[in-house]
Amino acid sequence: MFLICGTVPREDIPLIFGAVSFDGNSLVMEEKFIPCTQGTAALVSAACATAGFLGIEAPHALLVGDSGSGRGSRKIYEYLSENLSSLQPRVLVLHYMLPVMGLMRRVYEAASRLPNKPVLIADAAAMYAAKAAGLAPGFDVFTPDPSEIAFLADPEATHPAYVSRHLFESDVTKVPELVKAAYRNKSAAKMLLVKGSTDFVVEAGKILATVAEPDVPALEAIGGTGDTISGMMGALIASGLDPRIAAVVTAKANRTAGLYAKATPATRISEIIRVLPDVFRDHYASWLSEYTRG
Amino acid sequence: MVFGFRKKETFEGGGLILFNAVEEAIKGERLLKEAGIDAKLVAPPPILRRGCDLALEINLIEKVGVERILKDKKADYIDILPIKGNGELLEVVKVTDFDSAVMVKAGNMKLTFDRESGVVLNVSGGGCPDVPYLHAELLGRKLSEAQRPREKGHTLCSLMLDRAFVESLDIWSNGHK
Repeated sequence: MFLICGTVPREDIPLIFGAVSFDGNSLVMEEKFIPCTQGTAALVSAACATAGFLGIEAPHALLVGDSGSGRGSRKIYEYLSENLSSLQPRVLVLHYMLPVMGLMRRVYEAASRLPNKPVLIADAAAMYAAKAAGLAPGFDVFTPDPSEIAFLADPEATHPAYVSRHLFESDVTKVPELVKAAYRNKSAAKMLLVKGSTDFVVEAGKILATVAEPDVPALEAIGGTGDTISGMMGALIASGLDPRIAAVVTAKANRTAGLYAKATPATRISEIIRVLPDVFRDHYASWLSEYTRG
Repeated sequence: MVFGFRKKETFEGGGLILFNAVEEAIKGERLLKEAGIDAKLVAPPPILRRGCDLALEINLIEKVGVERILKDKKADYIDILPIKGNGELLEVVKVTDFDSAVMVKAGNMKLTFDRESGVVLNVSGGGCPDVPYLHAELLGRKLSEAQRPREKGHTLCSLMLDRAFVESLDIWSNGHK
């Protein structure tokens, strides 16, 4: 099972679990239609689009309404702590949820007790919680943006709002240094996909690849373009693809989707996700052959 | 399938509320617990002792929501600070010009608005659960008519978005004087 967990910005959504699909505008789950907006809804939608192209089982999602109070987030932590042993996901993505270090530790311990520990992917505040709780090296993939790699590099910061100014002001040329610092501080997952004007694929502190084309600067302004990266990454890994190749394919696909959607700063994330099947249809085979031949 | 919720017991903070007096700390704990916010009475480390030696440990991420509760209930406190680090929030912002649009970045949050109309085009970045909610609230609204993110947000992400919002409003207002 490929399981994605996070919150959606509607307090009327109770904790729901099940297979999920994307109809081009909304997520469809448990007879509920959840708008495909920035956040976990965008991540799940991108995962559905990718899984659909790959022909693998649709992702399952554990979602709950939470507009910031943290009440819904706590339900996710609690549910996972108690039910991971029966769910036994192969890939587990943790996303928008209030960072609560103690509760994240319980979820991590539950995942670690499974006979086959799932591939653990964290982005957004789940990544903040994993870092703050000292669990980062036990995670398989983090997908930070430039401000978040600065946060991972700062041993004192418990949230990107408290990152040291000199780290926040680092430009893309400083990413390799920030990556080194994050691994030195044991604040990085085994693999990082640092998303930005140049994307960096990192494993165990070593930069394996960079992706800078096509260059679509407007993507940075569009809410959800980091979320789509985590969703695609999860689906590609769930299909059995080597995570290192999955990271490169994901970075290329996100950028190319921006090109296909003719992205501007006003583009909505659903417009990006809708073109993903076309992007994969046109490029997936060639990207794969590029990174699997020798 | 819909599931119920079992109350958790685990709590681990990261932030401290400092008070002038012990009774203020005790009152603060009661008010926050009544509002469903985790809080624990602790002794502040010597370096952070500013008044009485009783403080409240909270989840630092919930700083904005905690401040609002204490203010609404007229509870006095000195400051809310991280247990680790120098306690300084990021003040710096970065501005990116997209010709017809402007993107303002504060910390991990970015707000993009139409240079001419001042309408919010996009909100990106962040990771706390109030971000998608604030994104939906702000999208399509004029900066001059929208509510500030800190009025509705709960977390440090909303505080960073608030900084981007204020800077955006300033840039847009100055461009239309």
